[in-house]
Order: sequence, then C-alpha cells, then structure tokens
Amino acid sequence: MQRSLLSLPLNFSLRNKLFNAGFRVIADLQRLTDSELIHEAGVSQQDVLELLQAVRGEGGDAWSSSTSLELLQKEGESRSIVSFCSQLDEALSGGVPVGKITEVCGTPGVGKTQLCLQVAVDVQIPPCFGGLGGHVIFVDTEGGFLLQRIEDIAAAVVRHCSLLVEDDEQREGILTFTVETILSNIYVVRCNDYIEVLAQLHLLPDFLLEHPRTCLLVIDSVACPFRHIEVVSQRTQLLQSLGLQLTNLAIRYNLAVLVTNHMTTRLQGSQSQLVPALGELWGHAPTIRLLLQWLNSQRVAIVVKSPDHMEAIVQYQITSDGLRDVDESV
Amino acid sequence: FRCDVTTRSSCGSPPFTSFQLPLFFYLPVDSVGHAPEPFPILSLADFLSEVVAPTSLPTARFSSVPELFGVPALDLQRLSGLSRTDVQLLLSAAAATCRPHPAVSAVNYGGLASNLRLSVGCPVLDQLLRGGLPVGGVTELSGESAAGKTQLALQLCLSVQLPVQYRGLGSGAVYVCTEGSFPVTRLYQLISEQPRLRTDVPESVVTSLRFSDQIYVEHAADLDSLQACLSRRVPLLLARGLVRLVVLDSVAALFRSQFQADDWLERNRQILRLGAKLQQLTSDFNSVVLVINQVTDVFDSSNRTGPVMPQVVPALGLSWSNQVLIRLMMRRLQRSVHRGHQRSAVRQLVVEFAPHLSRGGQEAAVWREGVRGLVTVSHGQDET
Repeated sequence: MQRSLLSLPLNFSLRNKLFNAGFRVIADLQRLTDSELIHEAGVSQQDVLELLQAVRGEGGDAWSSSTSLELLQKEGESRSIVSFCSQLDEALSGGVPVGKITEVCGTPGVGKTQLCLQVAVDVQIPPCFGGLGGHVIFVDTEGGFLLQRIEDIAAAVVRHCSLLVEDDEQREGILTFTVETILSNIYVVRCNDYIEVLAQLHLLPDFLLEHPRTCLLVIDSVACPFRHIEVVSQRTQLLQSLGLQLTNLAIRYNLAVLVTNHMTTRLQGSQSQLVPALGELWGHAPTIRLLLQWLNSQRVAIVVKSPDHMEAIVQYQITSDGLRDVDESV
Repeated sequence: FRCDVTTRSSCGSPPFTSFQLPLFFYLPVDSVGHAPEPFPILSLADFLSEVVAPTSLPTARFSSVPELFGVPALDLQRLSGLSRTDVQLLLSAAAATCRPHPAVSAVNYGGLASNLRLSVGCPVLDQLLRGGLPVGGVTELSGESAAGKTQLALQLCLSVQLPVQYRGLGSGAVYVCTEGSFPVTRLYQLISEQPRLRTDVPESVVTSLRFSDQIYVEHAADLDSLQACLSRRVPLLLARGLVRLVVLDSVAALFRSQFQADDWLERNRQILRLGAKLQQLTSDFNSVVLVINQVTDVFDSSNRTGPVMPQVVPALGLSWSNQVLIRLMMRRLQRSVHRGHQRSAVRQLVVEFAPHLSRGGQEAAVWREGVRGLVTVSHGQDET
C-alpha cells in the first residue's frame, strides 16, 4: 500500500498528471472515488480504468504467506508428466514435475532430445486417460525437432491410449486426441543464439496469455547457445539470471520446465571426468538433474539431483515408438 | 525526486537535469500481447529515441539493441536508474525487435524447410536416412581414409542440383577443401555417369543440368582462412541462392597440425567457434552442411558412446560431437563385390546418432557411377 505510483506500468501522461496532482503512493488513491479522482487529477475515465487495472494486477503479487501444511498439501496435488518409461517415472515419483526445472544431461546421441520429444507428446494426454492435457512451447536451439520423429512418437501414444479406452468419457477423449491435434499444440521456436533465447523468454508471458493451457516449456538445448559466449564472466552472469528467470516462470505460471545440457570434460590433476556443461553456478538452477549415459551396452538414466528422491539408476531404451522401459524378457 | 543523468543520450535530445520526474517511458501498442510484424533492424539510438524517452542508459556501453540482453536485468536497472517494471518493459520492447520468428505450431512445420531432405543419390541409402540429409543441423561423416567419404560428398554435390521433386534442392554446392586438392577427374567421371546412377530421374532432366557450373570449390589451409571463407564467401553464395549444400572436407586436418598438446583450451574454443559458424550457416540459409571428419583410435575406454565399444571414434572429441546433429560413419569392410568388370570393396554406412533415425547400417559399394547401397538377395549373393 505504500508502494510508489511510479513503479506501476502506466503511460507517461497519466503518470505525469497523477504526480502533478500530488499522489505518490497507492494508499493516496484509496480514499477517493472515481469522479473525485477524475476531477482532482484531470484524468479521463479510461485512465482511471487503466489505473485500477494496474493496481489490481500488481496487487496480486502482494506477499501472502502460507503454512508448511498448506504447502505440503499443494505438493501432493502437484502434477507430473509421464515419460512412458515406468521405471523412470517411478524414480521421479510420477514423472517430470510441473512447477520445477528438470535438467537432462548426457553425451551426444544418448537420448536427451528423445526424452524431450516424448514428454512433449505425453503432456498432451487427456485428463480422462490420466494425463494433463496441456500444451507445449519448445525452444529448439540445435535443430533436433524433426517432424518425422515427433509424428512417430505421437502416433505410438495415440495407439497406446486407444487400446486403453474403457468408458464413454475416454471414448470421447480419444476422438480429439489425434496426431494432428498433438502436433498443433506444440509451438516450436527455432533460436540461433543466446540473444534470441533470452528474447523469447522475455516474450513468454505474452505467449502464455494467448495460450493459457501451456504447461510445459522445453529448451533443447540450453548449452548450445550459451557455450558460444566467449567471455566467461558474462556467461556466468547470464546463466545465473536465466536460472532465476526460468524458476520464476515455472512457479508463477505453473509450468514444467525441461532443459537439456551437454557434457564436458573436467580435468582434475591428471584425471579427466565427464561433468555437465555450463559450470557449477548453473548447476544450482535446476531442481532435478537427470544424467543419461551408456553403461555396458545399456542406456541408463541416473537421477543425480533431486530434493525428494534418492539417487537411482534406471534402464531405458529408445524404440521407434519413443522412450520405453527395457523389456524384462530381454 | 531527483534523477541524475550520467551520460547524454546520443539521440540528441536535451538531458534531464534536476527535473521533478524520474525517467520513464511508454510502449508502442504493438509490442504488448500481439505478435508484431518483424521490426526493421534499429540502431540502439533510434530504438531509444523511438520507444523510450531520453534515458540515462550509457549508450557508449551498448552499441545495438540485442546487447541489452547481454547484461542481466538487475545491471540494466542499475545502469539506467529505471525501476524494475520499467526495465522489464524496456526489455520486452527490445525482445520484440530482436525476437526470432514467432512460435510455429508443429502442425505447420511440414511446410517449412526443416522438412526438406537432400537425397544421397541412391534409394537404398536414402531409406537408411529416411529421405536423406536434413536442413537445419550439421551432418558429420567420418571414417578411415579410403572409406569412401569424399565419394559420397561428391555424389551429394551432384544430387543437390536436381529439382526438389527429385529430392534435390535445385541449387549448387560449395566444397571447401582443407587438405589436398579437389578430385576434379573423379567429379567429371561422376557427372558423365550420372544418368546411370539416377535411374529414377528422367534422362532429359539430368542431361540438361550443367553440374560442374554449380559446384564452387574453395581452399582453406588453416583455421583463420577457413573462418574467413565461412564468414565471407560462403554466406554470399548462400544468400544469393547459388548453393544450398556446404561440404567441409575435412575438419580434423586443420586442428591436428595447428595445436600443441597444451593448447587444448584454445583448441576447444576454436572448435566451438567453428561449430557455431556452421550451425549459423545451416539455419540462417536453410542449407545442408556436411562435415567430413577423420577417426582416431580409442585410448580411453571408460566413456562409452554406444552399445558396442568401438575401435575408432571420430576425431576432435566431445566439444565437437556436441555440435553435430547427425553423425554418420563409413567403414571399409574386408569383403569385396563384383559387378561385370568392376570390383569394389564393400563399405558400410552407419548411423551413429540422429534424432529421427534409429542406429543402423547399410552396406554399399563404390562404382564408377558413384556410391550405391547393396541389397542382399536371399540366395546370399550381393547385387546392386
């Protein structure tokens, strides 16, 4: 209430008029009615409406505290996106969580983009089949979003769901759940450098206003554009603010954020070790970190960082239908 | 309310001094909530004067609008003295000017260039690649010497010139040689035999094309000249639509000779820079970029890159592999195969990784007319 009027997103002339009339903080406006305000400040009715919108819009951000019990209940309701590899979903107690940042690291060719494509299709599974029915914004920095592959994965998921149809609600749901609708709900942005990625993220709130059903943001990969920044200090600063921005987006708009990262070699004395790229400071941004690698002749996913789960190693395979469990029979 | 103006804005308006109001601005209506038409590229001064009232943003520090994103928002706030919301509005306006293309729904992706594939020239090999090489990512082809990599690259230089309906791209190719000379004799042999290879294309189409006219050969002996070539001549050819295939033969040669063992930091930086350049060429101009690489023996068997432990891996290590979208390898097998009077050692083209392809291989042979996949017939004899 003591918030300065000047911090509100109002236009130049309106701010001018209010200031000249002597209003400084939001509390000053409260004791007046509309017509008194129009008379005192010399503003129009339209201006008053705009002012009210701005105040109300910003007022929503006012701090409201909640108890831990309320937070625990909210956690229980929070949703996850399945990945069709049941062992991986179990290790993450449900799948890729909404409202948090999940990072997937791995060497080239191990399946990071495949996981992103699979999750981008799975998030759209209708609620009658136990999914979220949400839309996707896919930021592609490497060119890995290829239509042939996403069509394969979408067709397999539709086939899977059509085999599960039991009641009328599901029968209705499957009618609108087709490969074409799945593709139409994935919005792809091809970004060539870090500036385009940051610009796109800045414009994301406007996009989310137009597409309120979006609940997944995928960035494949975040390493590619940022590793091309040569000045290390600038890179670290930008990554830090990127981490904050992604966390804000995840929490405020209730999005699941899925990013992929490369691996790099770190020398410690005479030994070399593979570690996720982008440095230690970036490592604090994601809540959950998955490491994909080859172990003997199997693909495994290791949950290396998660506040809720133990470190787990899970086997998976990539078939023509997408990400799946390894058959027990093999 | 005092505001101190630290530098005079270069757009020529008078600085604000000891004015009662702090500095703020209004946004053009278009940039909030609507997908704007692509803005013309504004210089920072024009941007600030059009969008923003005179501010204390030190324009000496920023020379173009995209650089506003180069610093975190908090720093912008500190540098300009604007409030948090004002800085957000400034960044939103800047984002609208330098945004990438607006988000496209994947269902409309089919019409875009990213769905194009460049045929390799043989239907059997195209089947392995689900159509051919894609546009928008770097394809790498590595293998030992005499495996047939250059053969395949030359064949691609010819197939790119066929019209789109015959799975070409209707444009030429630029071939950047870094070692040795360009195999001109072999190219002419392939051109003369092209009707024999491309039996799926009407002969009139093939003979009407002047293949050698649309292949541009560049030489680059070291990294600096390669960067110069990729920054000047190649983009010019691409921008004019004269070429849509860029072949770099080969990338390993430049790095092997130039760097000592201790220079690995600089070497990595150069690899990243080259990778960034190639990715920019492929996505800005919707072109196919094929990079030929050599292989090295495997010393460290701890980091697996596949289900089977290989004996050789592509050169240049992890920092290069991270920038490759599709990795193909060509192996020379011990067997050979006959056809009439010709004889060829059997090769194998293997998909190591690709987002849309399963791992797999296809046997092929190199004949006078080019590289052709081998289809094994049931009674065990190899036929082309």
